[in-house]
Amino acid sequence: MTAIWEGLTSALGNFFSYIVVAVSALVLLYIILYVLFLKFRHDAAKRMRRYRLLYILGIPGMLILLLFNYLPMGSLFMAFEDYDPWKGLGASPFVGFKHFARLFADAKFYQMLRNTLTISLLSLVTFPAPIILALLLNEVRSSAFKKTIQTTVYLPHFLSWTIVVSLTFFLLSSEQGLVNKLIISMGGTKRAFLFDKSIIYLIIVIQGVWKGVGWGSIVYLAAIAGIDQGLYEAAKIDGANKFQSIIHITLPCILPTVAVMLILKMGSIISVDFEQVLLMTNALVKEKLDVFEVYIYENGVKSGSTEFSYTTAIGMFKSVISTILVLTTNRIVSSNGMKGII
Amino acid sequence: MTTQAVNKKDSHKLGMRASENIYQTIICFLLALLAATMVLPFLYVIVISFTDASVYESGTFYLWPQKWSTEAYSLILKGQGFLNALKATVFITFVGTPINVIANAGLAYMLSKDDLPGRKMINRLVMFTMLFGAGMIPNFIIMRNLGLINSWFANILPSTCGAWTVMVMKSFFSELPRDLEEAAEIDGCGTFRMFVQIILPLSLAMLATFTLFAFVSYWNCYFSAIIYLTDTSKQPLQVYLSKIVLSTDISEVVDMDSDLKNKVPQEVMRMACLVVVVLPILVIYPFMQKYFAKGVMVGAVKG
Repeated sequence: MTAIWEGLTSALGNFFSYIVVAVSALVLLYIILYVLFLKFRHDAAKRMRRYRLLYILGIPGMLILLLFNYLPMGSLFMAFEDYDPWKGLGASPFVGFKHFARLFADAKFYQMLRNTLTISLLSLVTFPAPIILALLLNEVRSSAFKKTIQTTVYLPHFLSWTIVVSLTFFLLSSEQGLVNKLIISMGGTKRAFLFDKSIIYLIIVIQGVWKGVGWGSIVYLAAIAGIDQGLYEAAKIDGANKFQSIIHITLPCILPTVAVMLILKMGSIISVDFEQVLLMTNALVKEKLDVFEVYIYENGVKSGSTEFSYTTAIGMFKSVISTILVLTTNRIVSSNGMKGII
Repeated sequence: MTTQAVNKKDSHKLGMRASENIYQTIICFLLALLAATMVLPFLYVIVISFTDASVYESGTFYLWPQKWSTEAYSLILKGQGFLNALKATVFITFVGTPINVIANAGLAYMLSKDDLPGRKMINRLVMFTMLFGAGMIPNFIIMRNLGLINSWFANILPSTCGAWTVMVMKSFFSELPRDLEEAAEIDGCGTFRMFVQIILPLSLAMLATFTLFAFVSYWNCYFSAIIYLTDTSKQPLQVYLSKIVLSTDISEVVDMDSDLKNKVPQEVMRMACLVVVVLPILVIYPFMQKYFAKGVMVGAVKG
C-alpha cells in the first residue's frame, strides 16, 4: 500500500494523489453497493445503472466534501495524541484525554469561554433587530421607498470584515478618526475608542448588527409576505389597531421562522466571528477579545507554533458543544409543536 | 342631517388619514436613519480619498472635496504590493466561482432525484457538514498533507461545496417540471446533455444568484488567506487592505518610492485602498439585488 502511495505521490504530487485515491474509493463504493443491490434488491441495482452518469455529476461536490470536510474529521484523532508532524497521525504517541484535562484545568480556557459567551449573549440581545426591521419595512406604503431602503440595508452583508473594520477605524481611530475630529472641533477631548476595554464589546456588537440586520430581515419579510391577508381584515373589522394586529397576527405567524433562526443562532453561541475579532484585537483590549479561535490561530497555525494537539482539542470541544446546542434547541423547538431544521 | 353625517364621517376619515400619515412619516424616518448609517461612511471615505493632501491636512472637514486629487489612487494602483494582491484575488475569484457553481449544481441535481439509490445517505452526509466541523487545525493539517499551502486553491476548494447551497439548489431542481425531463429522455437525451441543455438553462436566475454569492465570498476571502498563504506575495486584496489599515507605516506595504512617502497622508491612502477593494462589490451589487430578494431565499427557509 505504502509503495503504491509513494509511487502515486512522486508521479502526481500530493494533491492529485489524494484526488485519485478519493475518486477510486467512491467508484469502489459504487461498485460494492451495485453488487450488493444486484443480489438483494434488483430494482435498486437497475436504478443505479440508470443513474450511473448522475453519480458522476455529483462526484466533484462529493469529492470536495470528502477531502475538506470528512478527511479533517479523521484528523481530529490527533486531539488524543501528542501529535508530531514529522511522525504523522499514525505514529504519534496516544495520550488519551490529556489535552482535554489540561484544557479544563487552564485558567485561560475559562477566560476565553467567558469572553466568547459575553460577546455571543450580547449579540443575542440584538436578535430581534432584523425582526423589528422587517416589521417596519412591512408597514411602509411607498414601494419605491421600501425598495431603496432594502437595497441599502442589504449591502453591508456583502462587505468583508476587513472593509467593516477599516470603516470603523476611519470613524473611531484616535488620531484621524472622524468622531474624534468632530469632538475636537466642538471643543472636547479625544478618546481612544478602539483601545477602550469598556466599550470594545459594544463596538463589536454594533458592527455585527450593522452588517447583518438587513440581510437577516429578508427571511422575516418572506415569512410576513406569506401571511393570509384575510386575518388582518378580520382583525380590522373586530376593531384591532395596527399595533394589536402586529402583536396578535404577525408575530405568531412568523414564530416558526423565528424558531429556525434561533436554532441556527444557538449553534454559533460558542463561537465568534474570527475575522472580526482578529482584526479588532490590539494589545490593550486583548484580554477582552481573547477567544478560542484567536488562540487556536496563534498557537496552532502561525509559523513556529507547536501546540497542534492542544489546539485541536480546543477546536473539538467547541464543535461538539455547538453541535449539542443545535440539537438541543432543535429538540425543544420541535417538542413545542414547531418544525425544526433537522 | 345626512350631510352632517357625511361630514362627520369624512372628518373622521381625515383624522385617520392624518394619523396614518404621521405613522408613515415616523417609520420612513427611522428606516432612512438606518440606511444613512450604511451610506454615509462610504460617502465620507470616498470624499476623503479624493481630497488633496493640502486640504486634508488643514484639518477642516467638508462634505465635498475642496480640491480634487487622484494622487492617492495612482500611488496605490502603481504599488507592487497591490498588483500582487490583485493578481491573487482575481485568480481566486475567477477560477473559484465556476468550480463552486459546477460542483454545487452537479451534486444538487444528483440529490434532486428522489429514487436515486443512496440519496438519503448522501443527503445526510451533506447536512452533517453543516452541523459539525473539524475545526481549524485538522483543516490546516489536511491542507498541508495535500500540498496546498501557499496555493490559491487552498482558498478556493474548502469553501466550494456548501451544504446550504446544495440544499437550496436541490429544492429548486426538484421543483422543475418533470415532464420536460421525461420527454427529453424519451428522445434519447443523455444525463449530461439533459443537465447542460435543459436543467441549467431553466435555472438561470438561481444559478446567477449563486454565481454572485460565490463571487462575493471569494472576493472577500480573508480567513483562509491568512491561514493557508504564508507567502506574502501571494496574499489577496483583503489581506493587503487589512495590512494597510492596521500598520502604522504603510509605505512598506504599498511598496512605493520613499520620496513619495510624505506626499499623500497615510489616512487618505488607506481610504483610497478601501475604495478600490470594495468597488467590484458595489458594481455587481445592483445586479445581485435583482435576484436574491425573492425566490431563492424563500426556498432556503422552506427547504
